[in-house]
Amino acid sequence: MAEFGDSVLEDLSASDQHTSFSMSRATADADKRKMRRIIAEDPDWSLAIVPYLRIICLQHIIDNFEKNPILDELPPADKVKVLEKLSTKLPISVTANLISDEGYWRRCSVERWGRRDVSYYGNSWRRMFLECHLESAIELFIPNTTDPNVILDKVPFYKNYVKKISVSQLLPPVKSSENRQKEDTLLAVGDGASEELSVSHFDFGMLLDKMTELEELHLVYGVRGCRMNFEWSLFEFTEQDCQSLAKALKSCKHLKVFRLHQSKVNDENVQTLCSSFLEHPSLRELDFSHNIIGERGARAIGKLLNSSKLEVLSLYDNKIKGHGAQAIAYALSRNENLTTLNLRLNRIGDEGGQCVANALLKNSTLINLHLGSNELTEPTANFLSRVLMQNKTLKSINLSCNRLGLDGGKQLQEGMAHNSSLVEFDLRLTEVGQESEYFISQILQRNKETAHRTPL
Amino acid sequence: MSRSNSPLEDGVEENAPPSLESEIQEERIAARRLRIAARVQARKRETEGQHDTHHQEVTKELSRSQKQREQSRRRLNKLQSDGTELVTNIQVAVDARESQRRTEEAEAKRQRTEKLENEAKTSLEKFEDIRKKWASAKAKEIPQDLRDALNMQQRHCAQLIEEKSKIINELQQELKVQDDKYVKDLKRQAEDVDLMIERMEEQIKNLMKCYREELTQIEKAFELERRELLHSNYKKWEQTMQHRREKEMEYLTMRMKQVEDQAQQLQQLRVQDAEEYNMIKIKLETDVQILEQQLQHMKATFQLNQEKLEYNFQVLKKRDEENTITKSQQKRRITRLQDVLNNLRIKLKKQEKQFKEESHTLSEDCKRIMKQYQDMQKKMMYFASIDAKRFHEMWIMNEEEIKGLVKKALDANLIIHEQQLGMTYVRPNLPFMKSTGPIIPQHTKKKLTEVLAKQFLTAGQKITGDEEGVEESVSAGAQGESHQSKEQGQLEASYPENPDNLLPQISPKTMKKLLEIMCDECDFLVESKLLKLFSTLEKHEQSLMKLDSIFMALGVENEADVYKLADFLIKYSEQQIAENKKEDEEDGQIDEGKSQSYVSISSVEAAEGSSSMIERSTTTDLIHPNDVLKALKVYTEHYCKPREKHPLPSFINYEERDDSEDAAFWEAMANVIPESTQRVWSALETELEKYYKILTERSDLITETEGLKQQNTELRMLLHQYINSRVNAELEIPPTQVMQIDQR
Repeated sequence: MAEFGDSVLEDLSASDQHTSFSMSRATADADKRKMRRIIAEDPDWSLAIVPYLRIICLQHIIDNFEKNPILDELPPADKVKVLEKLSTKLPISVTANLISDEGYWRRCSVERWGRRDVSYYGNSWRRMFLECHLESAIELFIPNTTDPNVILDKVPFYKNYVKKISVSQLLPPVKSSENRQKEDTLLAVGDGASEELSVSHFDFGMLLDKMTELEELHLVYGVRGCRMNFEWSLFEFTEQDCQSLAKALKSCKHLKVFRLHQSKVNDENVQTLCSSFLEHPSLRELDFSHNIIGERGARAIGKLLNSSKLEVLSLYDNKIKGHGAQAIAYALSRNENLTTLNLRLNRIGDEGGQCVANALLKNSTLINLHLGSNELTEPTANFLSRVLMQNKTLKSINLSCNRLGLDGGKQLQEGMAHNSSLVEFDLRLTEVGQESEYFISQILQRNKETAHRTPL
Repeated sequence: MSRSNSPLEDGVEENAPPSLESEIQEERIAARRLRIAARVQARKRETEGQHDTHHQEVTKELSRSQKQREQSRRRLNKLQSDGTELVTNIQVAVDARESQRRTEEAEAKRQRTEKLENEAKTSLEKFEDIRKKWASAKAKEIPQDLRDALNMQQRHCAQLIEEKSKIINELQQELKVQDDKYVKDLKRQAEDVDLMIERMEEQIKNLMKCYREELTQIEKAFELERRELLHSNYKKWEQTMQHRREKEMEYLTMRMKQVEDQAQQLQQLRVQDAEEYNMIKIKLETDVQILEQQLQHMKATFQLNQEKLEYNFQVLKKRDEENTITKSQQKRRITRLQDVLNNLRIKLKKQEKQFKEESHTLSEDCKRIMKQYQDMQKKMMYFASIDAKRFHEMWIMNEEEIKGLVKKALDANLIIHEQQLGMTYVRPNLPFMKSTGPIIPQHTKKKLTEVLAKQFLTAGQKITGDEEGVEESVSAGAQGESHQSKEQGQLEASYPENPDNLLPQISPKTMKKLLEIMCDECDFLVESKLLKLFSTLEKHEQSLMKLDSIFMALGVENEADVYKLADFLIKYSEQQIAENKKEDEEDGQIDEGKSQSYVSISSVEAAEGSSSMIERSTTTDLIHPNDVLKALKVYTEHYCKPREKHPLPSFINYEERDDSEDAAFWEAMANVIPESTQRVWSALETELEKYYKILTERSDLITETEGLKQQNTELRMLLHQYINSRVNAELEIPPTQVMQIDQR
């Protein structure tokens, strides 16, 4: 207390200058305003020229919050005032744990990141601010040049609040030391030397084992906005990266969602990652969209399906063919957790389509199935019509951009005639014929109505 | 209705224009926009139509708001799905294109690799050729040939290289084409993305608009429903309120009426209650007073009773003490009396013997007395006849005398009438003047005894005080009797004429006592009914009536009988006493020298005896009450029998003669001069008296005047004398002068 009092006194003497300055400014204003008694246009104007000691003290606390944070000791009314005027530039190390007021964090977030949908962050402005803060730190991290402690020092402040890390770029390391100010220029400069680079990206191993509350991890091993400085090496997901990421993921026990997009993940990488996810206690969603996963990768994923609690699997835009689909279908026929399967833009063909349809005859948990743009044709439609007749859990099937043909459409129509659970059935660009499409849409309408009514 | 048709239309629309699937984007967009516009139009029409039909569908099962909500939901779902479809269409198209590209690329790649392989094969063959030729070239020794061969070789190599470079160029060309294609693709994708964004925005706008519209629709529906509900409720409310108001008014009037009634009733009740209260109060107060009085009274009585009871208690205590004493005495006495009883038994035996002897003697005496009685009757008969004769003679004598007097009176009347009053007088008819001898009455002489008794009783009462008036009272009683007999003159003579001559012997007092005793003892002779009747009367009268009835029962009919009875009783008592004395003496002789108790008893008896003796001495003789019955029994035995026999009728005639008629007879005699005449007489007498008085006064006045004349003369002489005397001259004022003044 004595210390606090001393400091306040000190600061008071220091702030004397400030007040005197404000007074001088006030007198200047007064001169300017020709001795007006009331200045209506100035909302802060007050008859009292000298502010109250209380207000001065509060102002002082606000000014010196970084050095001497006093908040919880204040009475509620003063606390509100302090929070209203507190600077948003204060370091997280001071504010993260101390300030729980959403208003303050909102101000910080809006000021720094602009307006974002807070509902993505569990309606918590603090979480939003801190997550964004961490993400930006990771995105701007340059291996071997940036000090990892910049991030690691702040982990204790992040770890209680950050639940999701959504990284949209990871910078590759840089050899040339001449230019490290900007990535673009850096990349431009490192053009020639990129061939020799084999050093990995940001090592998540050192971060993830400390982030105990983390639930979602979205990663893209690539560079955003490279423009004309394009270099294949910028989008490289190296062996080393894969190893370190797999290790890190194994240590992260609360993870629920893992997404790895557009990172040239190949079969070997998938195998490594899947082996790390085997028997993971909490993983629910796995997304390897826009990669180059092939047969072996699909096989590894199929293996993973039945040794985890995965509910959503997305392998959109990969290179899985009939055999890979077969492996996944085999896993699907025994699975009891998976609800959504997305195999859009693959090349599973009729072979894989038939396998998936056969698996669906046995499966009773899958709800959404996307088989768009998979080079499926009439035989798959034939199998799927049987699925439609038997399966009661499927609600949505997407078969767009597959040349099923008129006969396939008729078969599906036949199958749909016996179905009462399906709500969505996308048959765009499948050349099934208007008649079948109309008939199926009618049945879908009917199913929708019943689905709407039954919960009522 | 039309809504259900819409999917069909949509489907038709969606698939009808082939442009939808055409490669030209704008065309597709335009087609879709048209479709959306058409849809919106249709929807608007529908909603308007709905609005019109809104009012008609009030009675439908679902409420309007619910229907509207359902409709909106459907519409929005439709819109949303359409919108998403619209947006995803691009994606799908891109996907399709991508897959197309991939297949094409795969094909191209295959062709390329095939081509390259072919080319590599051919080039390898050529290279082999060239290499082979190198060996043949070595073998050539001719320089021209060698040069030719070398040139050939060079040409072949150049050809190979050219071929290779040609392929490289081709590939590079292809690469360029691919680059261009990539750029184009990029552009196209950018366009697609833009389109998608545009569509999304449009979709968002549309959706928002629709949502707003639907919201307003729903709100309107709700509003309307609410208003209707409100209206109906308000109506209901109004109705019920009206009802309530009416009821209230009714109730109010009823209540007021009731209140009035009740107030009236209350007032009435109050008044009634007040009255009742007052009455009750007064009553209670009086009751209280009465009760207080009673209380006081009771207190007093209580006090009195207490005192009485205390006194009684004391007395009883005393008595108890006495009783204990007397008890002891009695015990002692019982023992003594036991002794006496034994003695008396012995005596009784003795006496029984004695009485037997006595009865024997007495029966003999009775016989003798009967004989004497018969003699006496004979004598009586004789005396009766003599008395009758004498009565007859007396009657005739008196009659004659009275007749003379009547005659005299009539004569005097005649004289008075004729001489004094100067009126003619007619002599009245007097039948009794012709008859002679005593008249025979028809009455019984019952009343006589009554009168007698009364006389005695009254006389006795008077006498009790002083002994001296005995004679007078007797004479008075005699006078009463004589009044009855109407023989004034023969007052003294009547006594000797009494048959038994008992009267002088028995004093009226004793007589009275006797009568009282009889009255007390012989109640049984009186009829019970009579006794009841008597109880209301005074004691005197009561005793009289009793006596009368007793006498009747005993057969006592006249004065003589009464006296006889009295005499008999006295005698009987004397006889009894004498006997008792005898017995006492005998007892005394027997019980001489006995215990002290005996002495005391004897002394008590002696005291009794002495008291009776004293009584006897004062009242000469008095019968003991206990002996009255016996005496009366004896008397009836003695005297009633002969009477029943009626041996002498003449005597009986005489005996039964009633002199009530005699009185009338004599009265008639006396009333020969009627009342009016007597009044005339008395008036005449008074007038004559007056006349006589006047005459005597006159004679007196005459004598007085004579005397006065004499006195006058004497006084003149004196006056003359005084005046002429000298003294007068000497006086200052001579009387002569005074006389003169007076004269003046």
